[in-house]
Amino acid sequence: MTGFARSRPGGWLPVAATLSALVVFPLVVDDGSWLNTAVLVLLYAGLAQAWNILGGFAGQISLGNAAFFGIGAYTSTVLLDRWNVSPWLGMPIGAVIAAGFAVAVFFPFFRLGGHYFAIATIALAEILLILFTNWAFVRGARGMTIPFVRGPDRRPTDSWAFLQFNESRVPYYYVVLGLAVLAVAIAIAVERSKLGYYLRAIKNDQQAARSLGVPVLRYKLIAVAISAAVSAVFGTFYAQYLLFIDPETTMRLELSVLIALVAILGGVGTVVGPLLGALVLIPLSEVTRSQLAGSGNTLDLVLYGGLIMLIAVFQPNGLVAVGDRVRRRRRAVRPAGDGAERGDAPLVGAPGAGD
Amino acid sequence: MPALLELHAVSKRFGGLDANRDVSMVVEEHQIVGLIGPNGAGKTTLFNCVSGFFPPTSGTIRFAGREIAGWAPERVLRAGLARTFQVVRTFPEMTVLDNVMIGAFARTNRANEARARATDLLAFTGLAGRARVRGADLTIADKKRLELTRALATQPRLLMLDEVMAGLNPAERAQAVALIRAIRDRGTTVLLVEHVMEVLMPISDHVVVLDSGRKIAEGPPQTVVRDPNVIAAYLGEKYRPRDEGSA
Ligand SMILES: Nc1ncnc2c1ncn2[C@@H]1O[C@H](COP(=O)(O)OP(=O)(O)OP(=O)(O)O)[C@@H](O)[C@H]1O
Ligand SMILES: [Mg+2]
Repeated sequence: MTGFARSRPGGWLPVAATLSALVVFPLVVDDGSWLNTAVLVLLYAGLAQAWNILGGFAGQISLGNAAFFGIGAYTSTVLLDRWNVSPWLGMPIGAVIAAGFAVAVFFPFFRLGGHYFAIATIALAEILLILFTNWAFVRGARGMTIPFVRGPDRRPTDSWAFLQFNESRVPYYYVVLGLAVLAVAIAIAVERSKLGYYLRAIKNDQQAARSLGVPVLRYKLIAVAISAAVSAVFGTFYAQYLLFIDPETTMRLELSVLIALVAILGGVGTVVGPLLGALVLIPLSEVTRSQLAGSGNTLDLVLYGGLIMLIAVFQPNGLVAVGDRVRRRRRAVRPAGDGAERGDAPLVGAPGAGD
Repeated sequence: MPALLELHAVSKRFGGLDANRDVSMVVEEHQIVGLIGPNGAGKTTLFNCVSGFFPPTSGTIRFAGREIAGWAPERVLRAGLARTFQVVRTFPEMTVLDNVMIGAFARTNRANEARARATDLLAFTGLAGRARVRGADLTIADKKRLELTRALATQPRLLMLDEVMAGLNPAERAQAVALIRAIRDRGTTVLLVEHVMEVLMPISDHVVVLDSGRKIAEGPPQTVVRDPNVIAAYLGEKYRPRDEGSA
């Protein structure tokens, strides 16, 4: 696997550099629209990281992750709206609900093979969207407005306790940066642990995995639970960021597709991939959105479809693989490379042995 | 003391086909037991029944004193019974080391411990030099060796090998035979499927012969090779066109 998760000596240096740049960014770039794009990049980086745990490591392609995002957004918003519960508390509650929901729903889904699994996940998010659109308790299609926190002068005011900032976007930026770092940390922990190894074995060959004692279903469920929980956390953030949610903004299909696409474009199954993918794709989609304003979401989907085809044809392993290829070429130029790793054994053994 | 593995009247039907029919056999601890039979005799099917890949249609399978027929593969593995596949199932996109670590994780939750155990085993099976090669990039011979190492990493009491020597050249076969002996000497019981008799005879303590799903003979190798039923079964085989290793 590629990525700084398998840290080489000195591998933490680019990490530290990137992190410092991200911390300094809002101090240098004092522009609302750029800051907004940066917030979205980090949001999608986190969501794609969550997607990657199931879709990348375990190879179970979900096109319904917006469902978990939506559950996170709605849980904290309902708790806040009805019972004045802080989103900081609503966030973990939403994560737990999303994880439980994911386990219950994906239990039967995991019996479906290949494309049927992906289709089922699309249906899941769509059904949830329709349910929420018609559910009076969450105000249906009208959506929910996050109530303002007001100061003594009755004017909306910033509040860390209630994760609400009306003066500037900068605090939101730092919050989502923290959450993205958390998502990356979780992904790295997963990748290095028994869980990560088992998920990759499942992706490679489920029967072989079972023969080695891997309880395949249980590990897929753990993966989807983590994926759902992390997605839901970002859902809460998003609700607080927009201060308004409705079923469309939190659960629509384009959202699910974009999340998957970010990870796939960057490179599935790696920790760096989703970050790269978000960095490239989100600004791009912001530009097209503003350029093509008024023509609706359909053109976004055309763009995404086109990108998926390009990736499939030219770079199935994503942007991460481009970096790897460059690195390999550079290494190959050096006279004594790692050639000892391959080709030093005679090609023995009849091809196709076995039945 | 009861045998490590005891099969009693195991049958497996696929539609109208009796892939296994009333097969009874025992595998004593610390032995190398050979299971032979011509093409389509039902050897792999028997492996699949024992290792939990599908339940037998009828019959009982006792392993280490427990009835395991119908258990899921992962549960059978945890009970101490590991198998390899006739058609190799290396994890193609994982390194050799990672492949073996998956096996080692059956007995530990810690990555460092799994890595250390896998590294030791790769040295034991002679794959240490290829630890960082991807599974997909191995030769057939190395893939088979990797599967064996991976299964061994689960610390089985009984290791079932399905044609690990098919498709190997004589030198590699000799290495494989030495390795299997070494595995037994470390205390692991081995059940070995081969369909070429010559390979199996010298290392087996006990041989079971299947033909058309039934057990037709068993005993020490020297006796079994002289058994008229066995000779007939294999003579029949001689006249069937068969491409070595690619059946
Ligand atoms: N999953 C299955 N479904 C239907 N028939 C099967 C299945 N598996 C095996 N068979 C049939 O059962 C019979 C026994 O097959 P099996 O693979 O067990 O033989 P084998 O002794 O391992 O042969 P070989 O030496 O070719 O590996 C064959 O006729 C085969 O076609
Ligand atoms: Mg077979």
